[in-house]
Amino acid sequence: MYSPFVEFAVSQGVPLGTVTLILMLPIVVMIIAFFRQVVGIKAFGIYTPALIIFAFLAIKAESGSFWGGIRYGTAIFGTVIAVGTITRILLRQFRLLYLPRVAIVISIVSLSTLLMLIFGGMTQRTGLASVSIFPILIMITLVEKFVAVQIDKGKKTAIYLSIETLFISMIGYSIASWSLLIVYLQEYPWLVFVAIFINVLLGKWTGLRLSEFIRFKKIIKNV
Amino acid sequence: MFKAYLKSKSILGMNSRNLRFIRSHNLKKAKRLADNKLKSKKLLKKNEIPVPKLIAKIKNRKNLDSFNFASLPNSFVLKPNMGLGGEGILVVYGRKKNAHNVWVKADKSLVTEDDLRNQIRNILDGSFSRTSIPDIAFFEDRVKLSKTFKPYSFRGIPDIRVIVYNNVPVMAMLRLSTKESEGKANLQLGGIGCGIDMATGTTTSAVQGKSRIIENVPNSRLSLSGIRIPNWDQILELAVKSQQISGLGFLGADITIDREMGPVFLELNARPGLSIQVANMEGLLTRLNRVEGLKVKSAKHGVKLTKNLFGGAIEEELEEISGKRVIGVVEKIKLFGKNKKEEEIEAKIDTGAYSTSIDEELAFKIGFGEVLDYFKKIEKPKDVTRENGQKIMEDLKNKYLKGHKDLLDIDIVYSSSGVTIRPKVKIRFIMDKEIVITRANIIKRENLKYSMIIGRKDLKKFLVEV
Repeated sequence: MYSPFVEFAVSQGVPLGTVTLILMLPIVVMIIAFFRQVVGIKAFGIYTPALIIFAFLAIKAESGSFWGGIRYGTAIFGTVIAVGTITRILLRQFRLLYLPRVAIVISIVSLSTLLMLIFGGMTQRTGLASVSIFPILIMITLVEKFVAVQIDKGKKTAIYLSIETLFISMIGYSIASWSLLIVYLQEYPWLVFVAIFINVLLGKWTGLRLSEFIRFKKIIKNV
Repeated sequence: MFKAYLKSKSILGMNSRNLRFIRSHNLKKAKRLADNKLKSKKLLKKNEIPVPKLIAKIKNRKNLDSFNFASLPNSFVLKPNMGLGGEGILVVYGRKKNAHNVWVKADKSLVTEDDLRNQIRNILDGSFSRTSIPDIAFFEDRVKLSKTFKPYSFRGIPDIRVIVYNNVPVMAMLRLSTKESEGKANLQLGGIGCGIDMATGTTTSAVQGKSRIIENVPNSRLSLSGIRIPNWDQILELAVKSQQISGLGFLGADITIDREMGPVFLELNARPGLSIQVANMEGLLTRLNRVEGLKVKSAKHGVKLTKNLFGGAIEEELEEISGKRVIGVVEKIKLFGKNKKEEEIEAKIDTGAYSTSIDEELAFKIGFGEVLDYFKKIEKPKDVTRENGQKIMEDLKNKYLKGHKDLLDIDIVYSSSGVTIRPKVKIRFIMDKEIVITRANIIKRENLKYSMIIGRKDLKKFLVEV
């Protein structure tokens, strides 16, 4: 049972998958906001994890299985971060200016991704070889963010934030793939407004984050 | 468990820092000022806050091409104007001998003119600025390490971070650079933060990195607690003044001490970090709540407030500094009366009362029996009110003060239990090694626990801790 609104959208020629994905976006960003404000997982802001979640979803649509999305998505993510870090370290000795340097990093990362896709095809992992350009491009642009954080806050933080981003992306991806939620969204699209309302509450939340209980546990114990 | 929960309520987290303090107290204009080092330097200097001297600024490539590097002094600091987290800063300590425009860094590595040019180009491109927008590079005088900090610092200048809110310095820490932090005093990079007792400017506990509690300087036996920061009052005052000048309602002021100049203001910070709480082993939120809404008249007043409110980790020294002794609500005292009679009693310290009073029985014991008998025989008017009280008192004084030499004064006391007319006698007492001479009134207090109340008038030399 689709809601009249969804029915109307579909009858006007908007693909059902697109409607569902767009309705899913507010839910996904609300989850990312929740993880930042209440749990204390930073990741690379809100934009990057949201994009990666959708890259995962796109890979899933092509590979046809939930685990396909996780496997191939993580493989591409890992390659991008690893190659990005190595390239940056190799480039350091040349003392290049920022933008040209990032441009070289992105070039090397994209070539490596291409090699990985070919390798996937050679080893009969067709799901990997046939990933469309949209998720790959998203992942590659992640490199810029990664390099910026590396310069800004150091290698350790950058790797830490990458892991957090991957973690949040997996959770967001799992929730966005949850068939019950998809059915509900198609039936009650106004659930999106519930997500917005939750964001208002999150925006006014001044309590300690879960991670801060750990960070300050020595003070808390020192009663 | 419940206590731990309460304790967690005293901690300032990211969410409330951003929403309650930065968002509502640091206006955009003030934040922009803090993020612009040259502009804040200029403004602070104009208001007579000591800052490191500006040597030269390079605004664009054209400036860079025409800049004469030979004009630079032997030691200097190169900084990006909008840099954050100490990134992009280059410090040189001296010129290399027999070489043209080559300088030496703290780790003895060399910096050539080309290196400087490259660094400046990166700064101009905005590599170190908050939003990667083009930036300005500038040279300033290098602060010289003060002798006090020399043993504690690894290749860097320690600085003091003071959080100021509502014109009161609320919490402070001393930041030291370490080998791990590569000479930078930034906690996130592995620097050390020492908590500071606000009253005395003495360090208490220390944290390295984000949350590791340590006691000594790494790889040494040098204790990190008990470091006495010189010019402490001046540092606190500078911090408060910088708040008034910058308009940042919630401010992290970074101040250091130059060997020759003394306290020097380094940086305004509109988004001070939260690790200062770990360094002090105490939550910031309770302190912030305590100073909220206080009327602070001047920088000096703000400094006084913080000393009284947040000092006391080191009590003995507090007494030394403010010249006041810290006493409790009930204090043992030695009371001297007439004819060398003395009595050791417990007195109640009551800041709600103006003058000191003693119980009749106690007055008898210390030799005031005679004057009490005399006073009792006096015919006292019954219906005393606040209106006619003044006149009645004058009459009584004129009639009877000369009748007995121990009767120094007559007082009318209005209290919740009614109006009483009391005789006043001269007493001396010693409280916490301090001699107090006063006029105490005598009253029947037999059903009360303490035979003596010490009022505000006689507490000027003391600080009462509740």
